[in-house]
This record gives sequence, structure tokens and C-alpha cells, in this order.
Amino acid sequence: MKPTWRVIDTGLRRAVENIALNRALLEARQADEIPSTLRFLRFKPAALLGFHQSAEQELNLDYCREQGVDIQRRVTGGGAIYFDETQLGWELYLHKRDLGTADMQAITRRICETAARGIQALGVDAQFRPRNDIEVDGRKISGTGGAFDGDALMFQGTLLIQFDVEKMLRVLRIPVEKLSDKAIASARERVANMADLLGHVPEMQDVQAALIQAFADEFGVVFETGPISPAEQARFDSALAEIDTEDWVHMLHRPQADVPIVEAMHKFPGGLVRASVAYDRARQRIKQVWFSGDFFVSPKRLIVDLEAALRDTGVDDYGPRVHAFFAAHEVDMLGLQPADFVAVIQSALSQCEPQASVP
Amino acid sequence: MANVRGCNLPDDLYYDVDDNVWARIDADGAITLGMTSYACALAGQLVAATPKKIGKQVEQHKTVCTVESGKWVGPVKAPVGGELIEINEAVTDKPALVNEDPYGAGWMAKIKPAHWAEESKSLISGADIATAFEAKMNADGFGGC
Repeated sequence: MKPTWRVIDTGLRRAVENIALNRALLEARQADEIPSTLRFLRFKPAALLGFHQSAEQELNLDYCREQGVDIQRRVTGGGAIYFDETQLGWELYLHKRDLGTADMQAITRRICETAARGIQALGVDAQFRPRNDIEVDGRKISGTGGAFDGDALMFQGTLLIQFDVEKMLRVLRIPVEKLSDKAIASARERVANMADLLGHVPEMQDVQAALIQAFADEFGVVFETGPISPAEQARFDSALAEIDTEDWVHMLHRPQADVPIVEAMHKFPGGLVRASVAYDRARQRIKQVWFSGDFFVSPKRLIVDLEAALRDTGVDDYGPRVHAFFAAHEVDMLGLQPADFVAVIQSALSQCEPQASVP
Repeated sequence: MANVRGCNLPDDLYYDVDDNVWARIDADGAITLGMTSYACALAGQLVAATPKKIGKQVEQHKTVCTVESGKWVGPVKAPVGGELIEINEAVTDKPALVNEDPYGAGWMAKIKPAHWAEESKSLISGADIATAFEAKMNADGFGGC
């Protein structure tokens, strides 16, 4: 007989409650108080920081306050995201023995590939893109991250059902040229949502059913709907006392100036390339790069894939990573060279870090 | 130096196998602690590390530092309880140091132990290291460092 896991839908909530539930369910799974669980969740508009991020560096705080966008810190890693009613959150709470491995990257791959199959069943060609995204033809439709404690782990993802790209650009401090039509168009090339891809807004219950089926098939389990247990409720109450505080939300304070956004533009024989780079000075790491400009690359998605490959890259590593990326992909660039991308990043970095060297 | 499935595990250290951390007794009676090379291999390259505040009392098996790799966040736990007296700022500045040199430059914190004699009984050392980690790696389905 197949093992039974629980599925729970905690509905539309404020970020503070959703994050406190993350903590509560992970602790409860660790204490073996609950079965392995698939949770669905939705958010009232919120800007969610990764566990190790600072609000000043990641968010346009004034805009968030004006618009009533909640600011919260996740218990998982990764970057800041904007989450509202138009997205569906999915989370797995598992024991290590459910997975047969403790290798974090292998776990990420397995769960993301399974979620991608669930999305495919809805008629959208979703694929896992290392390290942490699910994408459709190069455009991100789901971001993911995880947390673990002892033998228990939680892995969570978003799924964009519909999406307000412009609001995301206003909430997040990301390396994009001013908030122009061009920037919005450029962001639209990088994110996808189910409604646009399908031509209609899918029913939330159909989306959930597809994900449930995919996880049931992958793990060889059956899902039964269950409520929040008294043990989880008690853990939720105490998590809320810690998380519903300024101390939690602003646990890390880092000045915005420590992560400058720098831009450079170069005319190469193969075209004009602009790079916007968010650079973490203290850690000497590129947080994020956006390329734009006037050049030809086929397939077009290669640029977005390159951006994904360059996320969170040390200042000594981006050159080798660009070259390794192009060595591993078939691409037609009409005269543009891999070294051109390295050069334009280096030129951007030279504005904020005199000692940044050519790797 | 024990070497289990390609992971170095120096035999002059104490280990908490479940928490995958090591401890060394310093000359002043404090202990230095960090992640094992095996824990590093499971995590992949660290990109962030946030320690608890100096002066805090930490219980055995409770979190002294929270680390992140590949968007996974998890705790580094205290092999014994006591007062957190020092953190390695080189690691908070450059977390990848832990992967590069987990037993040297990548140490994570120092604790003034409160109950060393009692709590260290649950740690393993010397000839037991290889057997204990072999069993853990087997349970974790781990291929090798």
C-alpha cells in the first residue's frame, strides 16, 4: 500500500502568517508530529526577502509602504520576490528518508522537475532550469528555495498564474533601466504566467490537482486532505510571536550603497550590448546581471539563460562562467563573442570596484 | 586524517555526526567549531552565513549560525553548549571559505563550553570517526566528496 501524505490549502493570508506557518510546519515535521505534507498557499500583496537579505538593499521601501505591500523575511534562501493574489505558492515538508539523498542540489532538481511535470499537464511546456527556476521557453514561471533542520526539510515554489510585472519592478530594487516601457517589456521577456500562455486564467483547483498528481506519481504516495493540527497551531502561535516583529523583518541591515547597481554599454562588431549589474561589494559577488541592447542571438532565450547562470557569481568566476556557458550551448550570435559579455560586465564592475579584475 | 568516501575528517577533532559539525579544544579551554567537509559537500558552495550574536548562550544541538547555499537555508548546530565568544568574520564576509578550508580558515565560531565533560560524551573522535560517518553517508545515500 502506498504511504499517505497530507495535502493542505491554507488559503489567502498575510505574509507574516504564511511565513510563521513555514516555521511551524517544518518544526512539526522535524518532530514527527505531522506526515509529509504538500501545502498550497496564497499571499496578500507582499515583498518577501530571502533569509539572508536586507530590506534596504532589495526593496523600494517607500513604494511598499505607500501601496500597503507587506514586507517579510522568508525562512528560505534566494532573492526577494513580489507575491500577490495572482500567484500560487506550493511547498513540500518532507523527511530526508522520503528522498533517499541528503544532497541539496539533487533534491532541488528532483522536486523542481516534478513540479514542472505538473505544470506541463496543464498544457504549458515548463522545464527545470538550474539552479532554482522553472521556466517556459526561457521565461521564469516559478522560483524556488528551501530550508532544512535536522532530518526535515521544506521546499517551496511560486507559480505565476497571472502576474503584474510593472508592480514587481516597482517593489523590487532590480538592475533594470528606469521604469520605462522598455524595462517593462524587457521584464516581460523574462517572466511568464499561466494565463498568458494558456489564453485563459486556469482554475486554481485544476492547478493544484495537477501538482498533487505529479508529486503523488513521483514519490509513490497518495494525498489526503487534512487540517492544521493542534501541534502545528501551537507552533504557529509561537512562530508568529517571533516573526511578526521588526526585529525579524530587519534582522539584517545592510546599506543600499553596499550593493550598487552599475551599468555599462559597449559597441562590438556583433552589436551593442548593455549590462546592468547588481554587485555585492562586501562579498565581491555579482548578484544579478541583466543584458539588453541591440544584438542578435539565436535562440533568443540564451540571454536569459546566461543571466540565470550568472546569478550570485564571485567576481573571479564570471569570466570562466560565461565561457563555460557558451561552450555548453549551441548559439548563433552573428559576430558577437562570448568575450564581449565578459568585457561589458567588467566595464560595469569597474565603476564600483576599482580592484575588480578581469577573471 | 580519516578519509571517508573522499571526505577528509581529521582524527584530532571531535564530531557530532548527526549535526555534521566538528569541534576542537583550544589551549584556553574554549572550543572552535565548524562544518565538516561532508556537510559542505551536501550543501554545495555557501553564499551567506549569519551567526548568532556574541555573548549569547547556545545549547548543545541548537543553532550557532545559519548558512545558505543554492537557496537552501539551514542551521550549523553547536556540538556542545555554552557562551558564544567569537565568530569568524572572514566567513561572514566570504562564506565560500568554509567550502575551501572547513577545518582551518573556514571555522565558524568559538564557544566557552558550559558542560564539556558531560556533553562531549556524545561526540565521537579517533578511531570511531570513519565508521560513524560511513554509516551516516550510507543512510544519506551519499556518493562521495
